Amino acid sequence: MKIIVNDKELEVSGQRVLIDELREVGCDIPSLCYASGANHQASCMVCMVRNVANDQMLPSCSTYPVEGMHIDTESDDVKALRRMSLELLLSDHRADCEAPCSMVCPAGIDLARLILLYDRGQMSEAQSLLASQTDLNNLPCADCKGGCEKVCRRGTVDKCVDIKNIIKEISVSKVTAMDGGRQSSNSGRQVADKKFSSKLGRFTESEKAWLKEVYTQPSRCLHCACEGQDKCKLRTYASQAGIKSSRYGVASRQIVKEQQHIVGRLYFEPAKCVRCGLCVYNSQDGFTFQHRGFDMQVVIPEQSRSHVDEHLAQLCPTGALFLK
Amino acid sequence: MENNKCKDCGLSSPQESIEVMRRKTDAIIDRIGTSREKIIPLLQAIQQEFNYLPSDAIERLYERTDIDRAQLISVSSFYSQFRMVPYGKHVIKVCIGTACHVKGANNVYDAFKRELAIGEDSVTTADQQYSIEKVACLGCCALAPVVQIDNKIFGHVQPGRVREVLVEFESMLSASEQDKASEGLQDQIQGEVRLGMENCCQASGTAEVHAAVVAACKDLGINIRIKPISCVGACNQVPLIDVATLDGSIIRYPNIKPEEVKEILLHHFRPASRLRRLRNAILNQIDTFHTDQTWDNILFTPEKERTQSINTFLNGQHRITTEGFGHLNPLDIDEYISLGGFDALKKALEAMTRQQIIDEVLKSGIRGRGGGGFPTGRKWQLVADNQKAAYVICNGDEGDPGAFMDRILLESYPLRVIEGMIIAAYAVGAVEGVFYIRAEYPQAVIRIRKALDLCRQKGLLGKQILGTDFSFDIRVFEGAGAFVCGEETALIASIEGKRGFPHLRPPYPAQSGLFGQPTLINNVETLSQIAYIIRQGADEYRKVGTEGSRGTKVFALAGKVNHGGLIEVPMGTTLRQIVDEIGGGVEGGEALKAVQTGGPSGGCMPAELCDAEVDFDALNQMGAIMGSGGLVVLSESSCMVDVARYFLNFTSEESCGKCTFCRVGIRRMLDILDRLSTGQAKMEDIDRLEELALAIKRSALCGLGKTAPNPVLSTLRYFRHEYEEHVQGICRTGSCKHMVKLQITDDCVGCTKCARSCPSEAIAYAPYEKHVIDTEKCTQCGLCIDECDYNAIKKVKK
Repeated sequence: MKIIVNDKELEVSGQRVLIDELREVGCDIPSLCYASGANHQASCMVCMVRNVANDQMLPSCSTYPVEGMHIDTESDDVKALRRMSLELLLSDHRADCEAPCSMVCPAGIDLARLILLYDRGQMSEAQSLLASQTDLNNLPCADCKGGCEKVCRRGTVDKCVDIKNIIKEISVSKVTAMDGGRQSSNSGRQVADKKFSSKLGRFTESEKAWLKEVYTQPSRCLHCACEGQDKCKLRTYASQAGIKSSRYGVASRQIVKEQQHIVGRLYFEPAKCVRCGLCVYNSQDGFTFQHRGFDMQVVIPEQSRSHVDEHLAQLCPTGALFLK
Repeated sequence: MENNKCKDCGLSSPQESIEVMRRKTDAIIDRIGTSREKIIPLLQAIQQEFNYLPSDAIERLYERTDIDRAQLISVSSFYSQFRMVPYGKHVIKVCIGTACHVKGANNVYDAFKRELAIGEDSVTTADQQYSIEKVACLGCCALAPVVQIDNKIFGHVQPGRVREVLVEFESMLSASEQDKASEGLQDQIQGEVRLGMENCCQASGTAEVHAAVVAACKDLGINIRIKPISCVGACNQVPLIDVATLDGSIIRYPNIKPEEVKEILLHHFRPASRLRRLRNAILNQIDTFHTDQTWDNILFTPEKERTQSINTFLNGQHRITTEGFGHLNPLDIDEYISLGGFDALKKALEAMTRQQIIDEVLKSGIRGRGGGGFPTGRKWQLVADNQKAAYVICNGDEGDPGAFMDRILLESYPLRVIEGMIIAAYAVGAVEGVFYIRAEYPQAVIRIRKALDLCRQKGLLGKQILGTDFSFDIRVFEGAGAFVCGEETALIASIEGKRGFPHLRPPYPAQSGLFGQPTLINNVETLSQIAYIIRQGADEYRKVGTEGSRGTKVFALAGKVNHGGLIEVPMGTTLRQIVDEIGGGVEGGEALKAVQTGGPSGGCMPAELCDAEVDFDALNQMGAIMGSGGLVVLSESSCMVDVARYFLNFTSEESCGKCTFCRVGIRRMLDILDRLSTGQAKMEDIDRLEELALAIKRSALCGLGKTAPNPVLSTLRYFRHEYEEHVQGICRTGSCKHMVKLQITDDCVGCTKCARSCPSEAIAYAPYEKHVIDTEKCTQCGLCIDECDYNAIKKVKK
């Protein structure tokens, strides 16, 4: 059958959903809740296209073409609505993409990763990462005012992480020849600056008390940087849409940084969930929805955690489900 | 918790009580079934048995049925009916439907909590006697504000009447065990007394009048038939009885009191024996003496006065759906048949082909009464074209706060709805029917169940109906409390035992509906008009209404109107006719500001547009919708921002949560409206609100989401200046509590009436001095304003 896409005719089979047909001919359609081959139900509305006939928006991930259908995928109107759907999702997304410390470091050192390695006791990896980004013998921190410590989120809980000293410690630690061999090819994080970066906002008093209790590793770092950074579609599309921050603020009721161990290396952080339901529709008696409306959440009862497996992390469009 | 259960079953050890609970749960499972789609009936039965969903009973479900944890959490937390904590012995449900809201339902809720000393975070009294909750709509809008305690409904509950209501309820508890043996007087019947016994009639005292009639008959030895009848629709005039004497005359007595019953009966009927007559004459003299009321006073003069307003209320109405109002016994199938009931079914089965029926419906021009206005005949055709066995569902999930048409139709005219459903089933080739009725309408469920049994006994349902080879039966499914289930795809999901998530159409239910089969879903009112169309013919039906909208429409008239109630008028009647002529004008002589139509999916029509003829297309053009037919009258003392906020609050709570625009978008609109009603908004917030509203209207997945912005868009369109005033911190009507305070003016004479009535002790007791309100303590419940005889308490800008 024939359909019209942005005033051009397109021959389609009618057996596949619009998004697959459109992507095949090179239309760049974003989508969060759709994964080819997986069970899904339209929810995120990020993949919307306009039905020219009645001006209604259709989720292309769940709409099958019909003869003569006229679709608009790239007008400003469509883009503005897609952007709004992303902004709405971001307003209920309590998370940092990047650690604030890394964002402000004038020397561009990947502080988040450094401290993570430090907390794991992987000193040699930490040292080689630091070496790849700066001169170990002449640390830029000496003359720096320490913006990293000023923006440190731990500082709003009790006292900021002693970042400068930790860097120092990494730079001077004696690593055995065996660990020290690997060279990191990572050369700073210039790319991240142009990207959208979600901010989690202020902690509530009860969250502060809770964070103090839970984050007790050597550095006391909250590890703000998102574990799902590399695969996060929400961030990718927000960056493409040129979003700086959601116009609707962040008014989520989710508890921040609450990471639940699910199974194996799989973890779940509800505050980052966009309720797309991919993990729900693709697990048997595993993840499920609870409540409705704005209060709707994805949950998994203790007894059902063994029913799911690690591959769900790949389906999740954000950092809500991740491998550690 | 354990202790509670023990109290229920009377056993001392927790182990034993768990054993009892298991046994009871097992019995429920044996009765209902073990498949996944049975989850909602199972949970309803468990909750009915234990008053909540105890974890031990749930564990038993996991053990014995196909239901797993994921499904249980998903379903039990979706529907508002289910609760995981035990409630008190009696449940107080405070209706916060539109009509109740505009009449101060929230103050009533607060008053109950204060009276029962229920804490801020709790809903149950310390002694576990009462729990309190807000419910979307009890469907008794003409009696607003309405409260239901267990099965007893109380109308016109003002905050100051709360204690009285509780006392009345408790006295009824102790009295209910008595008088139950006063039936069966066989002798010659002298006549008939007819009373409406719907939920709302009972709420306003018809139950007491019924009891008084029974008692009086026994007392006087009068032998008459006491007949429960279909709704007259004059909800504002109840309790109402009709006295029918043997000569065929019918005298109507609206607004009667139980103590008047005896006089009325004596006026029409002769007591059995001379002795009794004499005794009654004497007794009546004493009564008259004591109450200072004469016979004439009660019977003759007021009768005309009282009936005058009801006659204007009933004039101008046109009866198709509510044909037989006021004399039809809802559950007397022989009477229904004798008045032409099931003639349409006979005609359809015996003299028409399926296609002829569909053509007739198509020709009649009837459009779906559930809200969308899709041509009914076309829907039937789509289902019939499938050539597969289909389902017919009657959508009785009337969830609009401010609407109660479907409830009354189901309670008053169950047989007519069933007849329409059987005809529909025959026309589209369906094998099974489902009545989907919302849980808040227990009386409707009971009546429909009884009516279905009656039909089965008459061979109108079941195998080989009326001797033809057409077989069809209907079951009842009770909704569990979710507005979104009025949307047809969500309704189907809920029957299938899932969360009420709508799904994208196509595929339409006509192609793939319940359990993947072609399914016809029609609204209660639509089905109730089918018999008329088939019996009288499409041409007759077309004579009524407008070009694009044929027939009549049933409306639930409520809000700030003198005579609210259920009305049926031809399409094309103007809103002003409805409000002024049928409704008797705006309450308290205030000016009409707007009429809200279509509930949370509809809009507010300003007074200047109320001369437009009401039909589907006209309302759509004006930014409102017909919806299922709730009409809430708003007066000059109604705040439009508050009304918009009220509806958005409703839809945000009722949103299923599936798609982004509805789940998050409506919440963000509500955030802005919250800021507006507390005086914290900026001018650009209004633009942002409009932008969001327009986006949601185009982009939400289902009908609920797409129409949810309508209350905001229509009020922005016609009352934008009120939004702008709110940005400046002005709410002229005083509805937005954060912007006003109560103040006592110099008109105060120091009578202390307000001080004594104030529930939060915000007014000091100072006789003969001008009183002062402590703004800190004042909850703005408005009781003092009602109490003050000198009109000395005003709402002023904070």
